[in-house]
Amino acid sequence: MYKDINKEKPMMMFIDLNSAFATAEQQAHPTLRGKPMGVTNRISKECCVIAASYEAKKLGIKVGMRLSDAKAICPEFIMLETDAPKYHRVYQKLVSIMKDYSPKIRMKSIDEGVIDFHGMEPTLNGKSLVDIGYEIKQRVKDEIGDWMRINIGIAPNIFLAKQAAGWHKPDGLDVIDYKNLRSYYSQMKLTDLTGIAERFEARLNSYGIFTPLQFFAADEYMLKKRVFNSITGTYWYRRLRGHEIDDNETNLGMIGRQWVLRDPTNKDELLRSYLSFLCETTGMKVRYRNVEARGICVWARLRNGESWYAKRMHGSSFYTNQEIYRRALELFNQKPSGADVQSMGIYCYGLEPSKASQLSMFEDIAKKDWVTKAVDEINDFYGAFTVYSATTIEGKKVIKQKIPFGGTSYFELLLKSA
Amino acid sequence: MNPIEEINEVVDVVPIYRGHASDQFKCVPWKMVYRGREVIFTQLGMRHPTEKGKRMIHAFNMSDGVNDYRIDFDAERLIWTLIYVMGGDYV
Repeated sequence: MYKDINKEKPMMMFIDLNSAFATAEQQAHPTLRGKPMGVTNRISKECCVIAASYEAKKLGIKVGMRLSDAKAICPEFIMLETDAPKYHRVYQKLVSIMKDYSPKIRMKSIDEGVIDFHGMEPTLNGKSLVDIGYEIKQRVKDEIGDWMRINIGIAPNIFLAKQAAGWHKPDGLDVIDYKNLRSYYSQMKLTDLTGIAERFEARLNSYGIFTPLQFFAADEYMLKKRVFNSITGTYWYRRLRGHEIDDNETNLGMIGRQWVLRDPTNKDELLRSYLSFLCETTGMKVRYRNVEARGICVWARLRNGESWYAKRMHGSSFYTNQEIYRRALELFNQKPSGADVQSMGIYCYGLEPSKASQLSMFEDIAKKDWVTKAVDEINDFYGAFTVYSATTIEGKKVIKQKIPFGGTSYFELLLKSA
Repeated sequence: MNPIEEINEVVDVVPIYRGHASDQFKCVPWKMVYRGREVIFTQLGMRHPTEKGKRMIHAFNMSDGVNDYRIDFDAERLIWTLIYVMGGDYV
């Protein structure tokens, strides 16, 4: 029934700086400590909580909740705006501490990372991973701040290590291995497993799987051929047994930016300015990653519930803001007119290594390259958006750079505009 | 709604430089004169570097036990700026 369990010694350590932004703000502002507070990108009456302190979470205030709802639960709830350089400092310090223990570290996002201890035993001086976990906790308090708390999970694979890190929050340290795997699953719900939300839960339920223990007991054939009807079933079968499935790098497939409008509108002039701003930030990202794109997609979600998109693959590659905007505008002009736009975005795809260093034979193309290079240099020296196109002016007034949750690829770029 | 009162004024600061302290505590503001009032800091919340273009700014989050203060040190122009005050009475 429980075959193929990985009985290897747990060597993956997952570090999770829980409520990272809120805790960092409480670290920086001693008067906020022990109080229900949260962080948002821009304070307004209907803004959302993007990180809540433990004190707020205890009262039932959750991430994604509107400020007005949070205030209804707790009138003393305090909301602050995000401060990217502060979080970057915490991130840098955390990475530096993690690197002291193994060269094989991977940051999964701004506030969580994995240390792979495989092959590092000779350097541990006889210390167990649990001892090292407590040492890291202490170093985080000493080197980042005494209010900072981290959760640590130790297990044979990244999935179980992340589960272990979330077992006893806050400030927990847990180990999951083949000895306590069944006991762990018996205490959890299906949606406690990372990657299982309501839709996957419903799918599992329809095959008679209602608990993690039943999920764990399901055979590989059933998961692959019936429940998931794809290789995902095999991945889940192996993941739940402690085998490594998630230790892979993803290729850069697309680069883009989206924006949810505070006041949905159908005014073309405004929408074009927002589009221009999104194109400029996308262009910055494209050049930051040293690539060029051949494909571009523009999309919009309308207030009436409908959505629209248009995409096109071009024969030649592009990377300048002007070219991205010109090609995006061609597509944007095909949008059905009249309907209010609620959110919009663009992304570039068909990415290939940059050829920007190659000299162009055509003077007009070369001039565009020189302008882009000159503007990038000015913005690099004086700060992002010191010089930007006139079409972006209105968009620049309302669109704010947001904190990237998913990854850390653009953190350095974000700091330039912070 | 926002507990932060933005100030953005250049202020006089007396810092302490400690030769043997760890990286983040080598230079710590000790007291500040703001609009004729002397504020003595009792706690360093966090220090982090930030940039204004190529200019390095050291941001200090300090507390006097009642209010929190964010003061920035411009490492190129050598000036201290009080960026904001977060009133303890608010929170």
